[in-house]
Amino acid sequence: MSESTRELTFSEAIREALAEEMERDEMVMLMGQDVGAFGGVFGVTAGLHDRFGDKRVVDTPISETLMVGGGVGAAITGLRPVVELQFADFIGVAMDEIYLKAAKWRYMHGGLFEVPLVLRLPEGAVGGAGPEQSQCPEAMLWNVPGIYVVIPSSPADAKGLLKSAIRDQNPVAFFEHKGLYNTRGPVPEGEHLVPLGKADVRREGSDVTVIAWSNFVGHALSAAERLASEGVSVEVVDPRGLRPLDTETILASVAKTGRLVFAHEAPRTGGPASEVAAIVAEQALADLAAPIERVAAPDVPLPQSSHLERVYLPGVDDVIAAVRRTLQA
Amino acid sequence: MTVSAAVSEELALALYGQMVRIQAWEQRLMRMMGEGQVAPGFYHPGRGHEAVAAGACEPLREADYIMYDHRGCGQQLAKGLPLSQAFGDLLENVAGSTRGLGAGIVHMASPKLGILGQSGTLGGAFPIAAGAAFSAHYRGSDQVCICFFGEGASNRGTFHEAANFASVWKLPVIWLCENNGWAISTSVERSTATGGVSQRAAAYGMPGEVVDGRDVFAVHGVVAAAVERARRGEGPTLIEARLQRLRGHFMGDPEPYRAKFEGATRDENDPIVRCAALLQAEYGCGEEQLARIQSVAEAEVEDAAKVALAAALPGPERLMEGLYA
Repeated sequence: MSESTRELTFSEAIREALAEEMERDEMVMLMGQDVGAFGGVFGVTAGLHDRFGDKRVVDTPISETLMVGGGVGAAITGLRPVVELQFADFIGVAMDEIYLKAAKWRYMHGGLFEVPLVLRLPEGAVGGAGPEQSQCPEAMLWNVPGIYVVIPSSPADAKGLLKSAIRDQNPVAFFEHKGLYNTRGPVPEGEHLVPLGKADVRREGSDVTVIAWSNFVGHALSAAERLASEGVSVEVVDPRGLRPLDTETILASVAKTGRLVFAHEAPRTGGPASEVAAIVAEQALADLAAPIERVAAPDVPLPQSSHLERVYLPGVDDVIAAVRRTLQA
Repeated sequence: MTVSAAVSEELALALYGQMVRIQAWEQRLMRMMGEGQVAPGFYHPGRGHEAVAAGACEPLREADYIMYDHRGCGQQLAKGLPLSQAFGDLLENVAGSTRGLGAGIVHMASPKLGILGQSGTLGGAFPIAAGAAFSAHYRGSDQVCICFFGEGASNRGTFHEAANFASVWKLPVIWLCENNGWAISTSVERSTATGGVSQRAAAYGMPGEVVDGRDVFAVHGVVAAAVERARRGEGPTLIEARLQRLRGHFMGDPEPYRAKFEGATRDENDPIVRCAALLQAEYGCGEEQLARIQSVAEAEVEDAAKVALAAALPGPERLMEGLYA
């Protein structure tokens, strides 16, 4: 285990994880559109083609079913493919390959296969990319047992979770918020592994729990900072994904604070919060001193207009307002 | 009907024996259905398709891959899946390859034998087959992958994506289309521009072959050549085997949509009858020898049926097993 850390961007942390895992295991390979010499449309894989060559960093045609289904075929026959879809929204193009192949191949064939496949899925709004290239579609996979759903919120987690995902024997949908790519943070050097399915209490507090995913972890931390100056103590919990889900940490936090706010960029209905709210209702309703609040995007498609996108997106102020509502209840 | 000089008597008898074995297995399965032991509704009989199963799998090695399709029990048996496992899967009991998950016609598998499973969405197999072939190429092995599909499934967009990628990378995959003229009730003329599939090979820069899918020797010859080509690193081949489904799409299909046997006699469309005639005419095999092959197959099938019928249904714990590794 490494002791030293340095500042890296979220992108650099992902790239470092990929390079380290490719160095460690020759069966790890990358594929996707423009991931080769071009380095990916968001530059995340820059330099890896130079270092590992054509065979291990594969530029695919614009063929999402091939990328994901081919990834499944490669994974069940000994490779550990890391497939980058250009936008997370494109899981819709390859939904058969995700929903019925990656997630179910092992189970429906009696547990005879392992599917060590990672899908890297750049998600989220970054200003004008429109309704088909800006969404946070992770909750679509809530109802798809068989595939893990992992969502890092910091550069250190991006590295540690991705390395764990690549080493896992199960398929992992790995959502990377595009708005985080250029954010910086301390990242341990070398062997930094973050286990899948272990929530992170990013800030301890006693009055209200905010459970947030992806870029909203940062928003929740900003909200907590501002509320602290008003004497409100907010605990920020990052589940680091949807499945496996660390219900223990979530329920412990709810038991401690008795007040719960969810925060995510995905639309409210059927979003990441929905299922967790149901779990809390089933297992910890008596712990709640106030109704649950959700901060989420409205139930309309994300508009193409960057002006309306700003209207559409929730933010730090919405988290603060939701926390206050739970305290007034 | 002419005999290829490449088909030795030994090989001819082996191919015939494999077809007889596949047919005997399916006949025994029909009995299980008749006796209420296996639900017939989801079974897609392979009667009439035996020559493709036997002819295509014979050139393969154990480590080679197949992606079978919904009419593909014969393909798996020819690749080496134990008969008792295939029965067990349809009986939904622990004798099956999936230990009671009820794999039926769809999700039997054997990683050891390179039987990579089946996609319940037709055409879902194309990208997986390309991925398995990519994996073989990546690992520097000389494994090949045969992807079986019907002309109906060839109209999925996945075929284009997978065939294009496989040709760009010269992957060791054989696209083996069984064109029986009918996608359930929709004829190939109504579903498929040009009425065939082999012509599409030109679009991907690979050879496209048409073969009489009722002629096991012909199928064997064309697949063996494609397999060798793939092993040499020369890339994929598209083979369209034309044949007739001798039964309905699924058990109980009343088939109001087609005339019986499409203008030929049943015997002309039956690969086993055709092969028997050739064995007699060209190889000097007698009735007695053919009858012996039949009885050996039936005995093997009966032994396998006994094993499978004696096996238990899985316990409820099976439901929650095996989702994650």
